[in-house]
Amino acid sequence: MSDVLAVLEQRHGAVRKVSHEVVTGARRLADALGGDVEALVLAAGAVQGVERLGAFGADTVRTLTNAGFALYAPEGYTQVIAERVQAGRYGAVVFAASATGKDLAPRVAARLGRPLAQDVMDVGVEAGAVVVVRPVFAGKALLKLRVGGSPAVISLRPNVFTPVERPRAGIQESAAVAGSAGRVVTKEIKAAEAGTLDVGEAPIVVSGGRGLKEPANFKVLEALAAAFGGQAAVGASRAVVDAGWRPHADQVGQTGKTVSPTLYVAVGISGAIQHLAGMRTSKVIVAINKDKDAPIFKVADYGIVGDLFEVVPRLIDEIKKLHG
Amino acid sequence: MKIAVCIKRVPDSETRVKIASDGKSLDEAGVKFILNPYDEFAVEEALRLKERAGAGEVVAVALGPSAAQETIRTTLAMGVDRGILLQTDRLPADGLEAAKALAAELAPGGYDLLLFGKMAIDDYNQQVGPMVAELLGLPCVTSVAHLEIAGARGVAEREIEGGVEVVEFPLPAVLSTDKGLNEPRYPALKGIMAAKKKPLEVKAAALGGGALEIVALLPPPERQPAKIVGEGAAAVPELVRLLREEAKVL
Amino acid sequence: MTRQAGTAPFVPARYQPALPLDRLILTDGAPGAGDRTELDVLIVGAGPAGLAAAIELARLARQDGAQLAIGVLEKAEALGEHSLSGAVVNPRSFRELFPERPDSAFPFRQAVTRERVCLLTSGHSIPLPTPPTMRNGGNYVASLCEIVRWLGNEAGELGVNVFTGFPAASLLTTGARVAGVRTAATGLDREGRPLASYAPPNDLVAKVTVLAEGTRGALAQAYLEWQRIAADSPQLFALGVKEIWETRRPLDAIVHTLGWPLPRDAFGGSFMYPLTANLVALGLVVGLDYPDAGLDPHALFQQMKLHPLFRHYLEGGEMVEWGAKTIPEGGYYAVPARRSGAGVAIVGDAAGFVDVPSLKGIHYALQSGMLAARAIYPGLKSGDASAAALAQYDRLVNASFIMQDLYRTRNMRLAFRHGFYGGGVRAALMTLTGGRFPGGKSAVESDAAVARRPGAPTPFVPDGKLTFSKLDAVFRSGNATRDTIPLHLVPASEVPAPVAEFYSRMCPAGVYEVVHGTLRVNAPNCVDCKATDVLGPRWTPREGGTGPKYKRM
Repeated sequence: MSDVLAVLEQRHGAVRKVSHEVVTGARRLADALGGDVEALVLAAGAVQGVERLGAFGADTVRTLTNAGFALYAPEGYTQVIAERVQAGRYGAVVFAASATGKDLAPRVAARLGRPLAQDVMDVGVEAGAVVVVRPVFAGKALLKLRVGGSPAVISLRPNVFTPVERPRAGIQESAAVAGSAGRVVTKEIKAAEAGTLDVGEAPIVVSGGRGLKEPANFKVLEALAAAFGGQAAVGASRAVVDAGWRPHADQVGQTGKTVSPTLYVAVGISGAIQHLAGMRTSKVIVAINKDKDAPIFKVADYGIVGDLFEVVPRLIDEIKKLHG
Repeated sequence: MKIAVCIKRVPDSETRVKIASDGKSLDEAGVKFILNPYDEFAVEEALRLKERAGAGEVVAVALGPSAAQETIRTTLAMGVDRGILLQTDRLPADGLEAAKALAAELAPGGYDLLLFGKMAIDDYNQQVGPMVAELLGLPCVTSVAHLEIAGARGVAEREIEGGVEVVEFPLPAVLSTDKGLNEPRYPALKGIMAAKKKPLEVKAAALGGGALEIVALLPPPERQPAKIVGEGAAAVPELVRLLREEAKVL
Repeated sequence: MTRQAGTAPFVPARYQPALPLDRLILTDGAPGAGDRTELDVLIVGAGPAGLAAAIELARLARQDGAQLAIGVLEKAEALGEHSLSGAVVNPRSFRELFPERPDSAFPFRQAVTRERVCLLTSGHSIPLPTPPTMRNGGNYVASLCEIVRWLGNEAGELGVNVFTGFPAASLLTTGARVAGVRTAATGLDREGRPLASYAPPNDLVAKVTVLAEGTRGALAQAYLEWQRIAADSPQLFALGVKEIWETRRPLDAIVHTLGWPLPRDAFGGSFMYPLTANLVALGLVVGLDYPDAGLDPHALFQQMKLHPLFRHYLEGGEMVEWGAKTIPEGGYYAVPARRSGAGVAIVGDAAGFVDVPSLKGIHYALQSGMLAARAIYPGLKSGDASAAALAQYDRLVNASFIMQDLYRTRNMRLAFRHGFYGGGVRAALMTLTGGRFPGGKSAVESDAAVARRPGAPTPFVPDGKLTFSKLDAVFRSGNATRDTIPLHLVPASEVPAPVAEFYSRMCPAGVYEVVHGTLRVNAPNCVDCKATDVLGPRWTPREGGTGPKYKRM
């Protein structure tokens, strides 16, 4: 029981980027178990991007097609995946802890009569058993779990298993599968509500505090957020929300949101306890403040001491260069 | 409409997490327990559906310690008709075991809908609802942020990355609820008084040990103080390089 | 922030609006409420006084084989979340309320074994002999939050309805009789418009309403003002700012200090108590009649922790909770002439039953609650809740140890009005003479009537390890009040900059700020300590569940 099944996601016929992380995590486990990684994607036809997966460690990449699988079909997918698992000798079945993955993984696990470790940050093998670490209590603690029996069903927290090139054969296979989509039918994917990204959901959050001196100066942060190309939202400290500069929906910390983006940029924020509590589980924190003793530098990963009105415009330029 | 809502008693989200002496669980001294916030959306939706239908019953089911009776009473105060506690002092780490116990209790109930909060704010497992559906062979939609029920069919909306999935499903079904589905009501004073008289049945939970073993509960890794990259705008190119090459977030 | 040199002293009372009686006192039957609930007894406030009253009433009914509908309204979201005290508790009232239980059954942390009193200077601490009024042998260190949760449990088991998250916003009256209360509405925005979560006020009516709101209770004040019930002296207040620390070094004694960092012309002192050897409660109490407008009680408390005496315990530890509360300090002469009327009784801190020299109020609160219950119960049976019937409560209190104790120390606090050392001498003489010195009654004005000199603010830069800013502190009170809440504080229409500065120093929670010379009110920060109601903008009840969420204060 040493092979790992990596369940990929496709949207509109193309592999989603998070699947690179899934293959990376699966490869790590497979190496520890001494087996192969089989990547699996369900779709209505050929899927773009499957040829890239060998680079991240997939030994085989299997595309299973069915007319009803263009959009996510929970029951149809569960059936096919469970059958695939039962037909093989897998030590682990790995999903992304994406919106779809967190829906699909429990169904597959229950169908197989196996436990599910959801939203995992680290995987390994100890004494032959799969061991995982996952955040609990809103990231205030980590839980280490050992999985008894096989296979371990796991979903991987996004933005943690940074894709690593570990080239394997990546042999492409494709087959049609019978079966219905099931009783639960995804009719369509609508665009998210037009307008700005929500502070609680954005992968990048750029937050401003009193250091901005005036509400009008927030446009400097809006420009920085825009430079990240639709990935970033603008947040605000309690102080500026209280002052009426920004809406309450943007507040990070205390009665405002707790956010955990991949990148949090704190601009002109000193780092009051409640603000820190709202953003400290962000993956990477950057602080820009002219006070080198500001408490925010204690929790930030990187910092620049300086005048934000000089630093931020430069940052906008450099980010644009990167994306340009 | 006959609706079951599965609820959980959880530590308040403001809890300072202290690890118990066994190294595997939360030290509960002084911890305030509340109804899981995601379950509030489920309770509220159940009450609205029953009110809209004009008739029916809403039943709250909890798996947990004796103190969870108080949590059930909170839902009774909101308007739930009766409660069932499957009593256990130790919830297994394996969500499938919880799902099995709940499924066994819910199976004979003849419910039109079984509602769950999308996840509990202590374990963040986000799995018991769909697992129960699988065990009962019922259709299931998770993380429902918008819901319309017409007769024996329903349409739900759920948030995915960069969009909203619109999903149709038949009743009876299992749904798990997400923030934004509704605005839960506060228990009214009269509701709090009436809750005392509503039926609350306590039974022993039939739970297996499960196949997930807790090795340890650990504090999160200490963050090292910031690497001050430099001063002023001149430091920016280096910052961007580090973010790209070292932190790998750009 | 510039300060004009030579700015004249001002009197806070000049800038204090009157208590909004038109909001606090309504006629029963007035429109505006959703539900109406009838009870036998309604108790406002689930603190030790209110819960003791509820428990004793339920007990008396049970003994008779009768059933009483008793409801206790509590503004905090959960029991204990607005309760704060030192505390070292005298167990006698617990023993009287629960005669069948041993001390070990009560919610105390540990017995007092050692105690120390010190006079602090900026660098040293000089041990003093423990004054006789402060001897705590036989008493217990306790957390008031834990006491309240325990009492609430007992009350619940006796069938008492405790409604948390329901503040009483107004008295309902029929003529001069108190008929009940109206609770606050929930779910209004800053402009007072209903949000999706809006719930209208509730009316609760009862044969007797017991006001157990604690220090500077809004409805108790309103009732006394409305019925023109005065005391010999105005009530005086002190502000206590408190923290709980998990410490590396153990503490094995209760400690009280006088002197530094308080200026000579301010009254007060500090306390430090071990809940356990490594869980320490400490705080600074400052009389609100301090003449220097620049005095900042929170900042003083933070600085105090840097003194070697405290630093020794706190270094390397972690501050886990912060909070603040006022304490009524007027003593015997400030207790209102009567604390009962038609359909109403006032118990606990709301009536001023606190003994300053011994720093005790919890057992008086419990005792007064019990006495109120014993006075109310026969009236309930006979259907008589008139002023004459409820006057029995006053008689019971006057004959009890509550008033005996307060009488003995009747001039103690007032002696300090005129300075620490003179006050110290007077206080010592009072103790020696069992209260007979100096005779008569010291004349005194209310705190708000004491003139304030605009002064230099207490200099203070928090280090984030031992000392904390107000915003950080408020976070540690568990306060997560939504920022869109309507304003519950009532300032005067014109507040000059020096007065606004004075408010911003006084308030430990950073509610008041001076921005471009004008007063800015950050109402969500408020932790309901009531200092504002004593010296500045009036406090009114706000949405249930707002404010702090104390756990072990």
